[in-house]
Order: sequence, then structure tokens, then C-alpha cells
Amino acid sequence: MNIAVLLKQVPDTTAKITISEGKVDEKSVSKWSMSPYDEYALESGLQLKEATGGNLIAITCGPERAKKMLTDTAAVGADTLVHIPDDGVSDSTHVQKLLAAAVKKFDSHVVLCGKQAADTNGGSTGPGVAELLDAACVTLVSEVNFSEGSFTTIRPSNSGTEKVIVDGLSVFAFDKGSSELRRPNVRGIMMAKKKPVESVTSSDLGVNLNPSNVKMNSQNPPPEKPAGQKFEGAEYVNEVVSKLRNEANVI
Amino acid sequence: MDFTIIAETNGDSLHPTTYQLIGAAASMGSNSTVICPNGVGSLEAAKINGVEKVISATGDCFNIFDGGAWASALSSMCGEMILISASPNGREIGSRIAAKKGIPIIQDVVSMTEGITVSRPIYSGKAMESLTISGSAVVTLRPNAFEAALAENDAPINVVNQSADVRIAIQEAINKASERLDVTEADIIISGGRGMGTIENFSHLEEIADTVGAAVGASRAVVDEWGMPHRMQVGQTGKTVTPSLYIAVGISGAIQHLAGMRSSKYILAINKDPDAPIFGVADYGIVATWEDAIPALKSALSDLQS
Amino acid sequence: MAYEALDFYDVDSLLTEEERMVRDMVRDWVDEEVIPNIEIACRDGVFPDEWRVALGEMGVLGAPLKGYDCPGLSYTAYGVICRELERGDSGLRSFASVQGSLAMYPIWDFGSEEQKNYYLPKMASGEWIGCFGLTEPDYGSNPGDMITKAEDMGDHYLLNGAKMWITNGSIAELAVVWAKLDGVIRGFIVEKNDPGFSAPEMKGKHSLKASVTSELVFQDCKIPKDRMLPGVKGLRGPFSCLNNARYGISWGALGSAQACFDSAKEYAMSRIQFNHPIASYQLVQNKLSWMLREITKGQLLAYHLGQKKDAGNWIPEHISLAKMNNVDIALEIARVARDIHGANGILDEYPIMRHMANLESVKTYEGTHDIHNLIIGRHITGIQAFTREA
Ligand SMILES: Cc1cc2nc3c(=O)[nH]c(=O)nc-3n(C[C@H](O)[C@H](O)[C@H](O)COP(=O)(O)OP(=O)(O)OC[C@H]3O[C@@H](n4cnc5c(N)ncnc54)[C@H](O)[C@@H]3O)c2cc1C
Ligand SMILES: Cc1cc2nc3c(=O)[nH]c(=O)nc-3n(C[C@H](O)[C@H](O)[C@H](O)COP(=O)(O)OP(=O)(O)OC[C@H]3O[C@@H](n4cnc5c(N)ncnc54)[C@H](O)[C@@H]3O)c2cc1C
Repeated sequence: MNIAVLLKQVPDTTAKITISEGKVDEKSVSKWSMSPYDEYALESGLQLKEATGGNLIAITCGPERAKKMLTDTAAVGADTLVHIPDDGVSDSTHVQKLLAAAVKKFDSHVVLCGKQAADTNGGSTGPGVAELLDAACVTLVSEVNFSEGSFTTIRPSNSGTEKVIVDGLSVFAFDKGSSELRRPNVRGIMMAKKKPVESVTSSDLGVNLNPSNVKMNSQNPPPEKPAGQKFEGAEYVNEVVSKLRNEANVI
Repeated sequence: MDFTIIAETNGDSLHPTTYQLIGAAASMGSNSTVICPNGVGSLEAAKINGVEKVISATGDCFNIFDGGAWASALSSMCGEMILISASPNGREIGSRIAAKKGIPIIQDVVSMTEGITVSRPIYSGKAMESLTISGSAVVTLRPNAFEAALAENDAPINVVNQSADVRIAIQEAINKASERLDVTEADIIISGGRGMGTIENFSHLEEIADTVGAAVGASRAVVDEWGMPHRMQVGQTGKTVTPSLYIAVGISGAIQHLAGMRSSKYILAINKDPDAPIFGVADYGIVATWEDAIPALKSALSDLQS
Repeated sequence: MAYEALDFYDVDSLLTEEERMVRDMVRDWVDEEVIPNIEIACRDGVFPDEWRVALGEMGVLGAPLKGYDCPGLSYTAYGVICRELERGDSGLRSFASVQGSLAMYPIWDFGSEEQKNYYLPKMASGEWIGCFGLTEPDYGSNPGDMITKAEDMGDHYLLNGAKMWITNGSIAELAVVWAKLDGVIRGFIVEKNDPGFSAPEMKGKHSLKASVTSELVFQDCKIPKDRMLPGVKGLRGPFSCLNNARYGISWGALGSAQACFDSAKEYAMSRIQFNHPIASYQLVQNKLSWMLREITKGQLLAYHLGQKKDAGNWIPEHISLAKMNNVDIALEIARVARDIHGANGILDEYPIMRHMANLESVKTYEGTHDIHNLIIGRHITGIQAFTREA
């Protein structure tokens, strides 16, 4: 079985984000990491690979630096490393088209990814790629298994969780998974070093990046929080709760 | 510009965010077409101001959530600008409709102005991004970021039967009481300190945690002296947490405690001592005993949930 | 949450991709498994067996050795591993130093083919722990005069004597023991169950509490003839091992120094006295700035020495300088960090006092600070100053 795992490199969740001239300054990001939900997808992919004797294809669309992340995935067991340069990529449709084309090019039978990437926190990639592939998609899953020709997966439901069964080419978007990404070892690292990263461009994939109808105007620091407010007495609880909802937007 | 809104539902009725989606469209001077999947809430939707027409979408595919099938069934009913809630299901349906139509999707938008210019948080809120859309797009709106529309309307309802192939099947429902989250993964944490008096009183905090899906945390005093499990300890020698909302009850705010929670997006402190250092980092402080404040907080929060 | 190291001059950007990956692997493990458990290990005075297993699984034991299922990494990678481990605890790094540089290395360099094939794979996987017996109760800095001796009994050797201060001794499957055979120092492999051998643990250490330290006692200890290391005679044997271990320590000490710096910085930023964070006072800033300065210099020293080790153009004096300097500054940084933490600095809630106490051992073992001074002094002047005789 060919298992495609879609991965994105993002600023480490602990990294400080600085803005200069209306744009997030990527150079100032001290550490780039694999997006956390993608790690669960990768671990699940590795387990599927072991269970089915399959082949794991790690695919990323991103700048040059993202190749490092692919090499890291090879150290834990990815077989094929695919880098799609993100030149000319400016909206969700572009990324999805490129990823879907790569999934096809590498003859994948199943696609695993994170429910959302920790930079844009969008969540469009899994379902969008599924649509372009005419595949089923289940999101917020915590594990994926393969038996008797079908995939089974666990997703949340109103009353707890539910076990969902899917046939054919399917996309699974991971929430926090049931197992953490395994640690590499020196042997894996030595092998990873020898594993080439295949660069596949949009023209290799036959994808035409038509001009986007979304334009980024600017990126800015988040609005300053108002100064702390103190209320004397429990009778203010309701007022504070409505502030939490309407000012702070956290409940 | 015409807006199509795909209603967010909650059991048999509309979810409050549907009112916000409609309110957001109205604030752009637009009337909207509201699609109610499976017909849920269509009568209710017809009463909301700013709704021009309601489409009650019926079909077998709506009996189970399969984003692909729902998108197939709904996408032909949608116009140029499509608004959906940035809930997990909303994001999934929106992404598939966008991909089907070959138009971009912009997720988790918190403001929208003429143009159309939208802004959304990126990097978990460490920055904001402003985008201008020219042409068709799907936009998902963050719940509670927009003013809700009022309900004094009477729009027509069209029933459209449109099903699609469902590709997933539910093999087994696993019922379980939703487990309380761990402090490191929760978006809301309610922590108690020595001011709670006894460990038994933490049940009041647990009740609140269960209504809002929060985790319960503790100061070290509670862990050391009353035997609360160490995994609940927040602070320098406990967990470092960064939830959207941290509620500190009966916690003085010692520097070692602050070290673990001061990066929370918002902090609400409840303490009877107006000079407690916790108020120095709190965005909202209530000077009161927990005995007075917690029951009020509990009822205010459960009112919000329903 | 990923650890971000102090790396003011981006020295780590000089690492190869492979070295960086090894660093991240060990760093994450230390953050997830070691730092949360180290205080308990120290309180109980045990080296957690899970750590042995994990080091074996990661495949970092005997890092720079090639063949025989050994990792085959660069010396620079070995240094980086030591640094990451010692950010957790010097006792952990000691375990790895002894296993790799003091027990595996002599078998690898001086052992017979049979010895290498038999011992090295099991030691690289962590299944078998080794220790290194050189120091004796009466011979520390001056091992050349050791009195442990071996006698050739025709079909076996008989060992008599005692070694002291032996890291991993009581948990080891085998000991590489240096003893005199007909007045010449030779290396012998002694196995745990050899008759006449025992390894009682030394208790009561205030330093390296998570590392096991033992005596090795040989009373008519009988070992087969094929246990002598054929490839070396004289002090060159133990000293070649020590060169590698000392090299690792020069990186390792930086790990301790960083842990102390991180804690001191964090503390100074959050501790308010006289209405302001103490980090805002010039005296405290001076301390932090001094720490950063010394750590940065130490990093450059260690990295450059690693390059020399990998290129093979080093002399033992280069290693003496780095061991002496980096342990010295690490210990001083630990003391200054302790001062910045005020009373909190003495608690085991903070890593400071533990690193500080550990580093006292590190300063002494593998050639004391002053012995390294004497080695460099001899290099400068050509005059040995170790002893009045000769
Ligand atoms: C090295 C070190 C590490 C530490 N690590 C941590 C750590 O990780 N986490 C941690 O939390 N602490 C830590 N501490 C301990 C810390 O210094 C404080 O002692 C601890 O946080 C105090 O807990 P508290 O706020 O619950 O208790 P207190 O400081 O006793 O505060 C109780 C508060 O409750 C209020 N109160 C009392 N009754 C009521 C009531 N009926 N209603 C409302 N409010 C009431 C009081 O006004 C007071 O402010 C550490 C200390 C050291 C030295
Ligand atoms: C925790 C720990 C673990 C150890 N693990 C091992 C191990 O695994 N295997 C092993 O073989 N050994 C081990 N050792 C022993 C260590 O290598 C010795 O302690 C070290 O070589 C110093 O010897 P000593 O303690 O006898 O001190 P001494 O040699 O007695 O030195 C005492 C002091 O005298 C100074 N001094 C000595 N000679 C001179 C001189 N000529 N001129 C000026 N000053 C001098 C020294 O610098 C020092 O300050 C360990 C030690 C410790 C503390």
C-alpha cells in the first residue's frame, strides 16, 4: 500500500513571531518544526506501513527549508520524500492542486494529514485534497487502521467517539492521535542522510497556478489587550462573563 | 454581492453562530440565502433579519456527517460568496465546496469589511492577517466574533431535495462521558488554589470545567498539601500552559505559579484579597470569595452554553 | 515544547545535517524523559535502567566507533551528544562517556577480533554495560604507580588488587581493568561473574548522585587468557581512552552550563526585588553577560576541537585545554547561577545546585583541573612538573 502523508513545516509553537514592514518576518523565526497534528498523521502512517508492508511517501509543499523536515521523516521510516517548491503558490486552491497531483503521481492509496497546520490553522487541506481526488475524507481522527480491504478510523461524535469505515482512496485528517510520533535513532538518521528528496515542481505535476483572487494586504501584530479590569464583588460575574465572550472572545 | 450561508446546527435547531453568519452578511449590506442542511432550523432561519430566502436542503445523505457528500449536495445551491461557521464540520464542508468550485477558502475570519477585506488570526493568534477577496470564495467565520442578527423576519422557504453518495459508514458508536482534558491540551483551564479551603471543594470547579469543556488545574499548595495529582499542577515545577482562558480561583499568584500560566491569552482571577498578586496579571479580576463567585460563574456559563 | 539552546554565535549552524538530527533526537529525549525524572533518580541514588535502554535504542553508545554495530558517527556528533546529555545531568553523560570512551573504545582499539565481535555489539545496544578501572585508592592522578597486578598462571590470569571510584561498576556486565603484568600496564576484560571479583557500590556521594560509583575488588580473581587486550602496553592504553572521554566532557560541561544559564536568566527575569525584576539591575546583567560570554567561547573551543578530532590533527594537550576550560567555566557559571537564584538556588526544584555539585566531580575526574594545567605547562616549557623525581 502506498501511504501519502502531507506535512507542513511551521514555526515551532514556542517560537516568537515578529512582524516587520507589514509581514511576518520568517527570518526571525528561531525554530521550524513539523506542524504538531502532522506528527500524529505521520506516526499513524508509519504504523499502517508496518501493518501492511507498505511504502510511506512524505510530501510537503513549501520553501527550500522544508526539505530538512522531510529528511527528519526519513529518519523515522518514510520511504519516499517529495518536496513541491511553493513558488507562485498564493492560496488554498494552489496548495491543494499541487498536493492532490503529487498524491496521484505517487500512486497513493490513502492520504494522511493533520486537521490543520499550526500557522494558518485553516484545516482546508485534507478535505480540499480529498475533493480534488474525488476521495472520501474523515477529519479529526485519532487513528486509522486497515483490515479486510477497508480503512477504519475513530472520530469524535456527539456522544463520545465513533468508529467509521471507508473504502477506496481516502483522506484522513488527524487531531491528536492515539500515539506520539516515534523517536528516530542513529541508524535511521544515517539512512535518512542518504535518502534523496525528490523535488517536483508545479509544471512536473501539470498544475497550472492561475492567478488568485485573494490578495494579502498585510500581516500585523495582534491587537493590544486592554488593560486589566478589576471588579469588586461577585455581582460582577455576569458582566465579566459577557466581556469574556464579547471582548475577549474566549468562551 | 450575494451571500450564501450554510447554517450551523445544533441538534434540532440552529446554532447561535448561524445568527452571527447572517449578521456578518447583513453588516456588509447584503441579504443572504441560508441553506439548512437536512432542513434543520429552516423555520427558525426564515425569521432572522437579513435572510432573503431559506433553502431547506433535504436528502438521505444528511443522515450522517460526510463532508464530501454534504458538499456535493449543497454546492450547486451556493452563490458566489459563501459563509460558514469555522466549526470543524463547517471547515470541512467549506473546504470541499471551495475545492469543487475551484475557488479559495479563507478560514477562521474574525472581521469582514467592504471590499471584501477580511482578517484572521494566524500563528495561533500571534499575528493577524488582512486579505482582500475579489471574486468568489468560501469564508468561514470564527464563532462569537460577529454580531448576531435579530429575528423579526419572515422569509420564504424552498425545500430542495438533493442527495449525494455517502462514502463513509459508522460501524460503531463508542459512548463515553467526555473525559476531562489535560491542562496542557485544554483551551480553557480553571485552576484552584489554597483559597478553595479543601480538596472536596474542587468539585465546584469540576462542574464548571464540564460545562465549558475545560481542564482543572491546581496550584502547588493544593498538590503538596492536599494530595492533588501532580499532573494538575500549573507553574514552574508543574505544567506550563497557554490556554485561551485561564481562570484562577483562590490562587495568590506566586511568581512560581505565574511562570506556568502568564502566557495564557486571557486570565480571569477570582480572589477575596484585592491585593493578591494574581490581579497584576489578570485581564479580568473579580474580588470576591469563591463561595460567592463560583455559583454565579457556573450559572452564567451554562446559560451561554444553552 | 522544544528546547532552544543558547547559541549566540550560531555555532550549531556549522553542524552537518546528520549531527543536527542526532542533536535533536537526544535533546528531545532529555527534555521528555530525563529532566522530569532526574531529581528522583538523584534522591534515590540510582541510574534509571530505562535510560540505559533508551540510549541503546537511540543508538548513541560508542558514538564515534565504526563497525561491530557501533554508531559510526563523527567526533563532533559525539561531542554534541555529550552536551545534550549533560544538560540533563552529568551523571547521565558520565554513564555514556564510560560506556563509549572508556569501555567500548579500548576493546575497539586494542581488542582482538574475537573480543570486538563478542563485546561491542552488545555494548552498543546497551544490553551490556561496561566500566573502566584505572584509579586506585592510593593512585589517582598518578596511575602509573598502580599496584593492581596480574599474574600469568599458564592457562589463566590471576588478578589481585582494588580499584576505586569506578563509574557504572556495580551495574556493569564487564570491566576493562588496567593492571600490571610483570611490571607493565595491560588491559584486561573482567566479567561480572568471574570468580574472585566483586564490585561493591560506594554510597554517600553529594555529587553525581544519579551515577553509580563503585569499588572493584580482585581477590585471586581468575580470568581466561583470552581476556587480555592484545593491542596495547603501558599507560598509552588508559590514556587513549581518557583522551576520548575528556574530549566528550569538554562538550558535556557546556550542557550543564547552559542549563544553569537558562535557569538563571528565567529566574532573573521573573524575580522582583525592590519593585523591579532583578534582571534589570546592572550587577545581575553583568553576571548573565559573563555567562553568555564564557559559554560562547567554550562552544567555539569545543566545536573546533571536534573538527580537529574528526580531521585527526589533534594532540592530547588540545583536549586538556578544552576539558580544563569548559569544566572550569561551567562550574563557575553554576555557582554564579546559584547566587542569582538566591535561597531558591539551593532547592532541588531548580537544577543549579545539582549541576554545581556534579561539576565538582567532573572537575576532578578524567584528569583534575590542575593535572591538565601541568600537561599544558609541560607542553609550553618542555619541563614536566608532575613529580620531583625523573
Ligand atoms: C522552587 C519553587 C517552585 C514552585 N513551583 C510552583 C508551581 O509549579 N506551581 C505553584 O502553583 N506553586 C509553586 N510554588 C509555590 C508558590 O510559591 C506558592 O507557594 C503557591 O503557588 C501558593 O499556592 P496558592 O496560591 O494556592 O496559595 P496561597 O498563596 O496561600 O494563596 C491562597 C489565595 O487564596 C485566597 N483566598 C483564600 N480564601 C479564599 C476564598 N474563600 N475565596 C477566594 N480566594 C480566597 C487568598 O486571598 C490567597 O490569595 C513553588 C515554590 C518554590 C519555592
Ligand atoms: C564520581 C567519580 C567517578 C569516577 N569514575 C572513575 C572511573 O570510572 N574510573 C576510574 O578509573 N576513575 C574514576 N574516578 C577517579 C578519578 O579519575 C580520580 O579521582 C582522579 O584521577 C583524581 O585522583 P584522586 O581523586 O586520587 O586525587 P589526587 O590525585 O589525590 O589529587 C588530589 C589533588 O591533588 C592535586 N595534585 C595531584 N598531583 C599533583 C601534582 N603533581 N601537582 C599539583 N597538584 C597535584 C590534584 O589536582 C587534586 O587537586 C572517578 C572519580 C569520581 C569523583
